[in-house]
Amino acid sequence: MPRVSLNQPAPDFSLPDFSGKTFRLSDLHGQKNVLLVFNRTFV
Amino acid sequence: MAQLRQDYSQFVARDVEVVVVGPEDAAAFAAYFQKESLPFTGLPDPKASVLKLYGQEVNLFKLGRMPAQVLVDKTGTARFVHYGHSMSDIPPNAEIMELVDEVNATPVPRP
Repeated sequence: MPRVSLNQPAPDFSLPDFSGKTFRLSDLHGQKNVLLVFNRTFV
Repeated sequence: MAQLRQDYSQFVARDVEVVVVGPEDAAAFAAYFQKESLPFTGLPDPKASVLKLYGQEVNLFKLGRMPAQVLVDKTGTARFVHYGHSMSDIPPNAEIMELVDEVNATPVPRP
């Protein structure tokens, strides 16, 4: 399974958020750091 | 999630957008974020497209997913990658804040 490597470009992706608004990782480049949290389940 | 929310203002102060990706659908995300008053961006990923792209490990024995965190800096470079080895294997906020301070202070190391 592919993994992200340190100090390499993080793979870009876009997904609609839960309200339907599209989130694209690269939209935040030059503006913000992003902490991606891969969550298991909400319990 | 509660751990991250507790220090949300510190993330904001450090120009960090917290983005939660999970296997639940939009309705489950909306319900949970509302119930817990989470200020984060929540991305339902029921097809696991991003989860697979980033290689989140699936624990076949527990049929659950291991937590993982990736810190992406303003140039889009992954500066910190943590793949948990158990459900509770999540780095403390203080550790993440230190890393963000370092990332904000130092340019991307180029090979």
